[in-house]
Amino acid sequence: MTQKNRLQSGGRIDRSKALTFTYNGKEYKGFEGDTLASAMLANGIDVIGRSFKYSRPRGIVAAGAEEPNAVMQLGATEATQVPNVRATQQELFDGLVSGATNGWPSVDNDLMGVVGKVGGKMMPPGFYYKTFMYPQSMWETYEKFIRKAAGLGRSSLENDPDSYEKINQHCDVLVVGAGPAGLTAALTAGRAGARVILADEQSEFGGSLLSSRETLDGAEASQWVEKVTAELAGMKEVMLLPRSTVNGYHDHNFLTIHQRNTDHISDKAPAGQARQTLHRVRAKWVVLATGAHERPLVYGNNDVPGCMIASAVSTYINRYGVVPGNELVVMTTNDGGYQAAFDWQDAGRKVVAIVDTRQNPQGAQVAEASKRGINLIKGSGVIDVAGSKRVTGVSIATLNAEGTAVQGSVTKLSADTVATSGGWSPVIHLAGHTGSRPVWDDKVVGFLPGPTVEKRLVAGAIAGDFTTAGALAQGAEAGRKALAELGLGQAEIELPATEEVVVHPPMTLFQIPHLKKTSEAPKQFVDYQNDVTAAGIELACREGFESIEHVKRYTALGFGTDQGKLGNIAGMAIAAKATGRTIPETGTTIFRPNYTPVTFGAMVGRDRGELFDPKRYTAMHKWHVENGALFEDVGQWKRPWYFPKAGETMQQSLDRECKATRESIGILDASTLGKIDIQGKDAREFLGRVYTNAWAKLAVGKCRYGLMCGEDGMVFDDGVTSCLGENHFVMTTTSGGAARVYEWLELYHQTEWPDLEVYFNTVTDHWSTMTISGPNARKLLQELTDYDVSKENLGFMDWREMKVAGVPARVFRISFTGELSFEINVQANFGLQVWEKLFEHGAKYNLTPYGTETMHILRAEKGFIIAGQDTDGSVHPYDLGMGWAVSQQKPFSFIGKRGMAREDCVRENRKQLVGLKTTDPTIVLPEGAQGVFDPKAPIPMPMVGHITSSYWSANLGHSIAMGLVKGGLDRMGEKVYYPLADGRVVEAEICSPIFLDPKGERQNV
Amino acid sequence: MSDTNSVAIMNQVPDAAAGVRAESPLHHADLATVAHKGNKIGGVHFREVGLMGHLTLRCDPNNAELIGAAARVLGVELPLTPLSSVESGGTIVRWIAPDEWLITVPNDQSFDLETRFRAEMSGHYSLVNGSGGLTIYQVSGENVVDMLKKSTPVDLHDSEFPVGKVVSTVFAKSGAVIRRTGANEFELLVRRSFADYLWLWIQSASAEFGLVVEA
Repeated sequence: MTQKNRLQSGGRIDRSKALTFTYNGKEYKGFEGDTLASAMLANGIDVIGRSFKYSRPRGIVAAGAEEPNAVMQLGATEATQVPNVRATQQELFDGLVSGATNGWPSVDNDLMGVVGKVGGKMMPPGFYYKTFMYPQSMWETYEKFIRKAAGLGRSSLENDPDSYEKINQHCDVLVVGAGPAGLTAALTAGRAGARVILADEQSEFGGSLLSSRETLDGAEASQWVEKVTAELAGMKEVMLLPRSTVNGYHDHNFLTIHQRNTDHISDKAPAGQARQTLHRVRAKWVVLATGAHERPLVYGNNDVPGCMIASAVSTYINRYGVVPGNELVVMTTNDGGYQAAFDWQDAGRKVVAIVDTRQNPQGAQVAEASKRGINLIKGSGVIDVAGSKRVTGVSIATLNAEGTAVQGSVTKLSADTVATSGGWSPVIHLAGHTGSRPVWDDKVVGFLPGPTVEKRLVAGAIAGDFTTAGALAQGAEAGRKALAELGLGQAEIELPATEEVVVHPPMTLFQIPHLKKTSEAPKQFVDYQNDVTAAGIELACREGFESIEHVKRYTALGFGTDQGKLGNIAGMAIAAKATGRTIPETGTTIFRPNYTPVTFGAMVGRDRGELFDPKRYTAMHKWHVENGALFEDVGQWKRPWYFPKAGETMQQSLDRECKATRESIGILDASTLGKIDIQGKDAREFLGRVYTNAWAKLAVGKCRYGLMCGEDGMVFDDGVTSCLGENHFVMTTTSGGAARVYEWLELYHQTEWPDLEVYFNTVTDHWSTMTISGPNARKLLQELTDYDVSKENLGFMDWREMKVAGVPARVFRISFTGELSFEINVQANFGLQVWEKLFEHGAKYNLTPYGTETMHILRAEKGFIIAGQDTDGSVHPYDLGMGWAVSQQKPFSFIGKRGMAREDCVRENRKQLVGLKTTDPTIVLPEGAQGVFDPKAPIPMPMVGHITSSYWSANLGHSIAMGLVKGGLDRMGEKVYYPLADGRVVEAEICSPIFLDPKGERQNV
Repeated sequence: MSDTNSVAIMNQVPDAAAGVRAESPLHHADLATVAHKGNKIGGVHFREVGLMGHLTLRCDPNNAELIGAAARVLGVELPLTPLSSVESGGTIVRWIAPDEWLITVPNDQSFDLETRFRAEMSGHYSLVNGSGGLTIYQVSGENVVDMLKKSTPVDLHDSEFPVGKVVSTVFAKSGAVIRRTGANEFELLVRRSFADYLWLWIQSASAEFGLVVEA
């Protein structure tokens, strides 16, 4: 197909470089410099999708980020599928494959098209709340239906083949937008040597100058843009970011910029290049020079393809050399709309009429229209258009002076394009992201950025000055202001001469009245993307949703990726009218990040795959890998789970590891245990306050187990703390709890007891810790040390300094298995060496490495708890039957003492930790199983607690379990029943959790 | 068991005669081979300086007696300016917090230093040997700042981060103590257990510039 709407000359495209692209399976041609949208218009593609709710054909309306309809699905392959790309922002490249997101299977013959008209009635405003929310269980079903029907685009089903960068930036001044205001702001700041970042969403700098025919210094504006850009590019401290949308403005001048590095080349980045970069910017000052979006007017059937924004028509003609139609009608409330007609006429196509809603417009534009012989219809409006897949004609009626009612007869004219201008809305989205409320300005007929606590300036159209001269001057002024605030001296720039423009007052009008009242008139769209009509907003107001925030949520006005770029102001005006208030009284909703959609890839950066989350390793990790360990995540640690031998099932491995430990000797890498070094004369006192038990009399060389509780009296961590010197202790914590406990100690020290002389230092990574456990542990250790490790010289719960395999070590005789155990600690640089020496000497004892699973079984055989598994934040020491670890006699209180004395904590029938022995000894209860006392009780059965730990014990030859049971400690010997999901009901007897060696003789040898 | 000042200190480094090999956190990565086989030219250079002695000193910066004693032991004044460091001879002292400094010496000197601290200082302070838990990554090259900007939110511009500055901060999803040692040279002090993750991260973040491993 030829590019029937392409001009022979003009625009910023390169006609020598033809590009082929595919839209909905059909090939088309465009040129380098095109956007997907301009190329589609050049090819005469009218319908680019179907609307969200009513399934109406839609065409391209705008030329930039504000485009509501041309939201495309991109990607030549499954892996490179990208949803939600605005055709107006997508640069054309050779081989681009695009499709309409809405309107499967074909936008031209949509199955929903007919249904849509019915569906629309079925989906009035408020449908979202009225239907989606009830019943909640149906939400997913509704959502799927809506998404499929509306076709909101889809993500790829395959892995993204591209890589993405995330990078931190800092600057003195971040300038958002490289139009005339942004360029002068950046140039001023840059000349003074400030660190400047200038970001613009378009492929080239210049903003409005790119599509205007205004001159600067008597020459094409682009020449000035090139000169300024070149000067900026030469500055060492200036970073220029084209194709970079500032999407989020967060607290404390933290902004995020989404840069598209290669999306203009291909849908997959060239090898070695990141497809997109997310810049995380901390700016000392921000200058918003984001410009303004032209507002379309609201009139009957204003969504029929061919209805466009007046300035977009100019942009397509001037920048891309595309005239998107043949016969144009312009409707405008201000001087701005006229330019589209002039550009259209200059492009050699027919201007049917300019319809000005003002009764008596005056000035240069009016004179120019008359000079050009254009039919100027004053005091009138286009009340309706004809056509469905393309405009075929317009109905024009005379309006009253206020523009609130139709007067007189209706004239019908033939036209295929309607360009409207309802004035300009400053692009205040970013200004509102941090919570600043926009302020209405009657003169501007729009909202301006409100006051803010951020160090932020605005310049140009965002500040309500829509002239180029004003933008240039305000930009320079913002640059100077930022420099002054930063104390960076001053710099002057020479502003280019502009053409003088006298602007005549616009008319404040948003919705063009119809002969019928709004609810009966043809649909008048306010928010195209969310299919919100003027009638819908009126209905919302009638139903009592008067707050603009409620109107928004009720109608979906300004939702989603659109963020109300085109429709918000008109929507508010209509709501204001419907509720008899002014626009400032009605107020505005607040815009949220992101301004336009950001890919997940850019947000993720390199935090994926291997680098998704840190993996922490011990010094012996290589050995574990080489010896076939399977690993378990404990916090971020990779801990050996178990060490299967060839052909073993998991249970067989565990049985072997458990038996070897109880019968001879096993070894565990316990390096992951949290270790905190505590020094100071009040260390002992501090321990007494954070642990529930007493520490006053623990002698140097001794170790003690402690429980740590929150203020509520509930156990949150436990471990052994050893007295290294009179003023020196080392505390161990659970592997996952180390950071939390360390912070806990610092918190209490810094906020509650700063008077105590004590310091904490984390030494977790410093020590390699290996625990040898079993009847032969002493023999093995003795072989590797000169120190006498006999019972007499190194008793249970003692620690000593000695050399093990020639390496200085602290050896703690503590036991988590109930066996004779030694925990050997050496500086981690020597950990693997000592570990290997133990194996050299341990082979004859069948020294067996075991992992976390066997550790869990061995400790459960002894009834030792694991904080976080057998406790869940609702369990105090007495619930655990561990009252022996609580000292109520300490002179100073301890954390949790009051909490565990609360009425609820001392009542009868609390859930308590007990052992559970299944009647059928072969059944291993699933952890988490809920118990009941009466298995025949009617449903819902009263539940009495859950299984916290459950294993097969090879040593005992039966299953063992621990669990919480209401009043369990007083119910020894009674039965509890566990109805399982598979229908079985497992009977178990309450018993002591100490299944093995209740007198503790094995560890005391 | 030593009991000076009621704390336990011990020489944690085995005698040379014991023939015990010491392994830094990246020992298993065999950087020597990587250096031999890998890039010789690139924008980022990487070297692990392992097996150093790292001691954390905590005391009141307003206690002139303690500060003075520390200076006598170290031969340099403790840096009291936040985020600063001093380097003298083979000793590096980094300001970590108002009451915390991280001292680096060759590991075989850490016990001697600890002993001298214990002899010289009295009162409320703590000194902890963390040598086994830390390693140093030296990163340098013309793109080193570009690589670091992907990794840490700190402003690395030379106006904000001059040579000698020290910051303990976020690095990727872990942390590091970052010190600038030259125009295009930084030292990252990282924890042993995170060493592999950070090494992988640095490889990935340096890829576009070319990574030269030195050993």
